[in-house]
Amino acid sequence: MEFSVEAATILGKLIGAGLAMIGAIGAGAGIGIVTSGAVQAMGRNPDAAGNIQTNMILGIAFAEAVAIYCLVVALLILFVVG
Amino acid sequence: MEALGLNLPFLLVQIVNLLIVYTVVAKWVVGPVGKMLEQRRETIAQGMEDARVAGEARANAEEEAAKIKAEAQAEASQIVSDATERARSAGAEVKSAAEAEAATAKDKALAGIEAERNQMLGDLRGQVAALAIAGAQKLVGEALDEKKQHALLNDFFAGVKDGSVIVLADADLSGDSAEVTSALPLTDAEQVTVKKDVLAKSGAEAVSFLVDPSILGGLVIKVGDKVMDGSVAGKLEGLRANMR
Amino acid sequence: MSEQKPKNKVWARWVVLGAILLGAFLFTGFFGIGLNIKPIMPEVFLPGEVLSDKPLFGIEGFFMTNTFVGMIGADIAVFLIALGVYRGVKSGKMALSGVSGAVEALLEALQNMTEGTAGKWTKVIFPWFATITLLVLSANWLGLLPGVETIGLIHEGHGEYAVRDLGSIGGMKIQTIWDESGEEAHMEEASTDAHAEETHAEEDAHHAGASVVPFFRPVSTDLNFTFALALVAVVMVQVVGFRALGWSYLTKFWNTKHFFDKPIFGFIDFGVGLLELVSELSKVLSFAFRLFGNLFAGAVLIFVMGSLVPFFVPAMFYMLELFVGMIQAIVFGMLTMTFMAQATQSHGDHDEAHA
Repeated sequence: MEFSVEAATILGKLIGAGLAMIGAIGAGAGIGIVTSGAVQAMGRNPDAAGNIQTNMILGIAFAEAVAIYCLVVALLILFVVG
Repeated sequence: MEALGLNLPFLLVQIVNLLIVYTVVAKWVVGPVGKMLEQRRETIAQGMEDARVAGEARANAEEEAAKIKAEAQAEASQIVSDATERARSAGAEVKSAAEAEAATAKDKALAGIEAERNQMLGDLRGQVAALAIAGAQKLVGEALDEKKQHALLNDFFAGVKDGSVIVLADADLSGDSAEVTSALPLTDAEQVTVKKDVLAKSGAEAVSFLVDPSILGGLVIKVGDKVMDGSVAGKLEGLRANMR
Repeated sequence: MSEQKPKNKVWARWVVLGAILLGAFLFTGFFGIGLNIKPIMPEVFLPGEVLSDKPLFGIEGFFMTNTFVGMIGADIAVFLIALGVYRGVKSGKMALSGVSGAVEALLEALQNMTEGTAGKWTKVIFPWFATITLLVLSANWLGLLPGVETIGLIHEGHGEYAVRDLGSIGGMKIQTIWDESGEEAHMEEASTDAHAEETHAEEDAHHAGASVVPFFRPVSTDLNFTFALALVAVVMVQVVGFRALGWSYLTKFWNTKHFFDKPIFGFIDFGVGLLELVSELSKVLSFAFRLFGNLFAGAVLIFVMGSLVPFFVPAMFYMLELFVGMIQAIVFGMLTMTFMAQATQSHGDHDEAHA
């Protein structure tokens, strides 16, 4: 296979998309921390489980938003750019 | 944007579609289900309320029953105690009535016995006097004036001479009540005499008469804490003491 | 009953074992008796694939796509649920049975959640929560039906697999695509649940390669759908906020309350207000891409797992997708509900905490 601009572009796109998704690490760790805290809180105070659950899902959503931005960037790189 | 598949007409179609679905869901699902949930909640609350009311009613009934029972018990015990009390008082009444009756009967009997005895003793006294006179006539050999003899004997028995009590001739007496004991019952005249004399001498208010054959004759008069022994027995005792 | 239960278990066990053996027979050359069909990896398209070249309703750039069919399918599912629930409630029963009973239980749980968070605004907020949850749930779960994303039009001249005729029904040719890159492999369209799938085709040209454009694709894997949901949800959050607080709702974004009397904190508050405006926009983005990303990734995951291990293993991922589909539906609805509930609350306390 010889070198061509198209092949290099595709290569760059794929590598870039993969690198973009590294940001999901933070979201994963964040979701884990949020859930761990929420589960501990529920274990200590089961009566407040409903309220904690709502706030937990809210926190997970915010943490997940970071991963979603990564996904958006990856999709843009793969399908839109160039 | 085209590469991501976003295009305005489809987006608008989706929005319109979502609004249609919202209308359908809000009208046909959320409304009826919400109403049903509300109804069910109300039914459950109603059931709970009913159960609570029923429970309260039952508790009230139980309380009422307990109260009625307690009242009945109190009444019953009241009746029983009343009956017992009445029975007791009736018994006591009967008993006291019987006792009183018995006492009166006894008193009456005693009085009858006393009267009979006095009567007998009175009769006896006449006979004794007659026998004594007859015996004395035989011994002395001389006939005494019968009237005089009687007076002597009377003096002997009654301890009364010339209308005054011998024992009290020179006694100093004082007291509230006097008690006069004689061997044989005194006649009414004698009693009056003795009473008058005793009262005058002692200042006592009342005089009672007793009969005691063991003193043989004369009178024993007790006023207050003083005893004047004018009895024949006392005299004989004194004589015997002197002769010894 | 106690005798029935173990019997059922035994029955289910034999079915599972039979399915595994069938899968092994179809897809491996194990013991030399298998058909050894080689699994294929279908092409992944981000936008909805176009089913016909003619624009729909004569609108420029608006084509009949397979996600549009998916949308109609989800709508029909929601309408059927609504009909069932409506008729069930109208019949006057205290509790519904069947699917509508399950929907009722779900709605009751959601309503309790809403009441706990939104309080007196439940009546305004809950219909949105219920609508979004039901619609997204139907859209997600419809994508798990067999035949979805596997039955479609043969798209000639675009792809890497050969076309084979299987026969015809009523003048319509039934074809399938095969992976002939191996030796004598007979390959069908990748089927994730070990079923042989047929492909209807209307064209019979013999080109170098072909691919399948499925008739039906879950609408959640189309960004138009998720963006529409996100836009409507965020707009309705603002509407609910206005209804609750009136014009003072706008002070959340343009906060000049303490701008002059407390210069430093006032300025910070003003900056926070502007950030709130940005966060409303980012809500649209995160809403849309969360649902799209989860569902699209789920579909790709099932493709990939199906092409790697065509039997038994995809069943596990089907279970995962069942779970993810429900969780994403509830999360979308619950986030909308929570944002709405937050919008109804005055920001006065917030200011005092700063001051």
